[in-house]
Amino acid sequence: MRAAGRRRADAVWPVGAPARPGAVAFLVIDMQVDFCARGGWVDQLGEDVSNTAAVIPPLARALDAARQAGLTIVHTREGHAPDLSDLPANKQWRTRVHGLGIGDRGRSGRILVRGEPGWQIVPELAPRPGEMVIDKPGKSSFHATNLEARLRGLGVTHLAVAGVTSDCCVQSTFRDGFELGFEAVVLEDCTAAVETRNHEATMAILKAYGGRWGRVVRAARFFQALEAGHG
Amino acid sequence: MAEAYLPPVPADPYVWPFDGRWSAADTAVLLLGFQAGPVERLRAAAQAARAARLAAAARRAGLAVFAARRGVRPGAAPVLARRAPLGDAVPEAGSPGWALVPAAEPGPDGQIFDHGGDNAFHGTGLEAALRRAGIRNLLIAGLPTDGLMHASMRAANDMGFECLAVADACKGTSLSRHKAQLRITTFGNGLFGAVAPLAAVLTALPHRDAASPHRDAASPHRDAASPHRESET
Repeated sequence: MRAAGRRRADAVWPVGAPARPGAVAFLVIDMQVDFCARGGWVDQLGEDVSNTAAVIPPLARALDAARQAGLTIVHTREGHAPDLSDLPANKQWRTRVHGLGIGDRGRSGRILVRGEPGWQIVPELAPRPGEMVIDKPGKSSFHATNLEARLRGLGVTHLAVAGVTSDCCVQSTFRDGFELGFEAVVLEDCTAAVETRNHEATMAILKAYGGRWGRVVRAARFFQALEAGHG
Repeated sequence: MAEAYLPPVPADPYVWPFDGRWSAADTAVLLLGFQAGPVERLRAAAQAARAARLAAAARRAGLAVFAARRGVRPGAAPVLARRAPLGDAVPEAGSPGWALVPAAEPGPDGQIFDHGGDNAFHGTGLEAALRRAGIRNLLIAGLPTDGLMHASMRAANDMGFECLAVADACKGTSLSRHKAQLRITTFGNGLFGAVAPLAAVLTALPHRDAASPHRDAASPHRDAASPHRESET
């Protein structure tokens, strides 16, 4: 065990590499107008979207590489039913007090409501036909969705997690992936938070102990390991 | 039935709970990971003692107390295989380090939930037990802040529970990670709930907790200073 620990000290996948490219799910979390674009919800709250918008170009490149490598591509969208029946009262209250609540009408349509303009994935990262799209009401992509069952059905054993925001939905999904037994990595240069210090603190928490829930790596290192793992 | 609402708790970033509605009938204390091994490794005796005061005061006020205990069992390969080579020790179920410290046991009417990862809701009956008991609000204390505590609070929040992290009854794997995790909790007017010190919660509970944590009359165990004494089956 100790020898294995030393040998694997720098490994991207400490437990073992995926058997085939399709066993890796490339999870693009919540790259929606409401979180990442001018005119979306976060922007309307008066928060700065430059961090979350800045991640679009590197993520677009990584997504292309993931498609070419044959990974299982998954997009998630946070959102609620138009009647808000899946929206906890405290979640709505907190966002309303913050300025503009989920379900309220803003300049990008009703905030985080399924089908509204602001809820859409930004055009640069639009899902392609055949790619999995998961609609989630919570922060973890595994909460109240069929993501786990669909991944298991495709034989997915490994996750590469990217998208926004690192301190919220990315971290929740990454941690739950670990709980469910997936070998996961977070792609450090393909994720961001609204506040830089929260992003940096999240990365520090995830990197502690060599990555308690999986590794934190840059996209280039991830693809390098993927290629090496499959000859 | 007339609900006797308790006074709201001054908290960050909002006065908790969000709608001012919490009572002995709909609020529970969640004690996460106050086990001999983690308490010793994180030097968290003071936080465990505060968690015990929280639980004792809550019990006297009629609130339910639930505890979660993390441990790896033979055959629980995915978690163990991943963490052991990385040097992140999880107590082996049944070992002395796995036992709850006596001061942080849930009490005679409380329930203990065993889990292998960080999220006390994953693969346990905790959510069902809380729903059955009519719980909507949670007062959470746990170790470490950036591990088990936050993972469980995140899950509870997604489930719609209104959560308050009792900050000084939690300890992180480092002070900076503890503070950062609680700051992230409060971002966006409470992404995952609110944060308050123990004193604020005790003030709001009907009976002030005057006893020292080592002489907790509500607990069957008196010796909080000797976490290794207990032997669990």
